[in-house]
Order: sequence, then structure tokens, then C-alpha cells
Amino acid sequence: MSVEVEVDENDLAEMVEQVWESYLDPEGISPLMQTYDENQPSEVHSSVSITGSWTGHVVYASSRAAAQRAAAAFLAMELEEVSEEDISDTLGELANIVGGNVKAMLPPGAQLSLPQVVLAPESSARYPNTERISGVYGLWEGEPVSISMWQSSTDTKEEGA
Amino acid sequence: MKILIADDSRVMRQIVVRTLRQAGFGDHDLIEAADGQEAFDMATKDQPDLVISDWNMPGMTGIEVLRQLRAAGNQVKFGFVTSECTPEMKTAAEASGSAFFIVKPFTAERFDEVFAPILG
Repeated sequence: MSVEVEVDENDLAEMVEQVWESYLDPEGISPLMQTYDENQPSEVHSSVSITGSWTGHVVYASSRAAAQRAAAAFLAMELEEVSEEDISDTLGELANIVGGNVKAMLPPGAQLSLPQVVLAPESSARYPNTERISGVYGLWEGEPVSISMWQSSTDTKEEGA
Repeated sequence: MKILIADDSRVMRQIVVRTLRQAGFGDHDLIEAADGQEAFDMATKDQPDLVISDWNMPGMTGIEVLRQLRAAGNQVKFGFVTSECTPEMKTAAEASGSAFFIVKPFTAERFDEVFAPILG
């Protein structure tokens, strides 16, 4: 089954902006500056899977320093107080928030998984039979952060295999 | 008032607590549940005046918690804070007796708008 995906880079960028305004940069002094470089490196990542009317993954990836800064902002603590668990929890919640907002824009009948967190680069993960269909890539106070959508090829297949 | 915050994410429970404080509701008695089953048990045992619940949680989802509470005759004021906000979810929430629906990411202003009429 082929499904029109109506969540594009602009939609993702708007969600990202809301997350920054609400939690990561409420003062409006350090927004995510877009680089449009989909090959920028990451050191940690998190993801949620969506199945149903659209099938694929939403992936949040960043440097470890950016994840630590996000956790400090989420938990209102100093950078040096942030633990490994804080970083994991924060990354999971970031994937959940963006994934939930993506799901809300999809046709009815999609299911959202609980988030998965991997304290390793996004490039270490494989999402079988998927292709990246959109993403926001940027620098947050000089550190790489990206949010991307990976669509399962079973959704994009035009002809039977 | 006693407020139960149910979310499987520890950081999100902390953000909800902080946002309640920022919105001026920090002097209420805040208690926390880390999954749906715990939320159901605490809503029954601790008799909160208000439950602020996540939707997507392992074990029992937020809507299942609400439905089971209502099935057991518990009429606690109950609503959702969730990253998912599809029309069918809102409809299901309202049909089950949900009092509010807050979408993540949220702000202190949004909390004030929703909770001022409830918490005074």
C-alpha cells in the first residue's frame, strides 16, 4: 500500500522549534541553527516506530554534549550534575515528543511505539528496508542535532516484489 | 488538593511538576506514578483530586487507566498530557470522561489556561 506522507521538513522544523521554545531554549537565546547537512555526525540517538497508516521511524540524534545540555535543560540542573540515566530519559522523551507530533499529522490508524534509546551514533543503527524521507539537521550551540523520518519500503513499494 | 502525575518518563514527570510550579500550582500535594498500573492503584488508594496522565505507557495506557477507574465507579477529575493528539484520541478521551487534553510540548501558559478553572 502506498501512502502519501504529508510530513515534510517544514513540519519537522516547526515541531523542533516548539520543543526548543518549550523546553530547550525557553529564553529564545540558543535555537537550533539549520545546516541542511544530513551527514553530520552523532554520538547518541533515540527513535520511535510508527506502524499502521504509515510505517517507519522518527529518529533524534545528537552529539553527547548536546544530549547532556538537553538533559540539563529538561531537568533544570547544571551540566555537570547530569547522569547517564538523565541523558537516556531525555533522549527517549525527545523522540517521543517529535514522534507523537508526527503521528498526529498522519492518516488515522497509526500506532506509536515506546521510545528506544541507544547511546551510540545513529550510523550504528540500521532500519531495514527504509529510506530517509525528510529531516532537520542543525547545530545547537555548535553541537550537531538532527531529527529525521525513515519510511519503511513496504509503504513505498509501487509494485509487488 | 492532591494531584497525581502519571508518566513513564521520569524527565517528563519532572517537567510537569516544574510547569505546575511555574503556572502557580506548586503548593498542591504532588504525587507521581511511573506507569499505568501504578497510576490506577494510586488513583484508587491515595484518592487524588486530579490525575494528569500520559497516554502512551507500558502495561496499561492512560486511556485504559481512565476507563478502568470509571468502570470501578471512580469519578476523579482526569486528563491527558501527551505528545499524540489525533482527533480520534481526543474523541476517545472525552467519551471516557477526560476533563482536558494537553499536547507536548506544552508551556506554563497552557497549564494555567487548563488548570486555573480546576485548581482555582
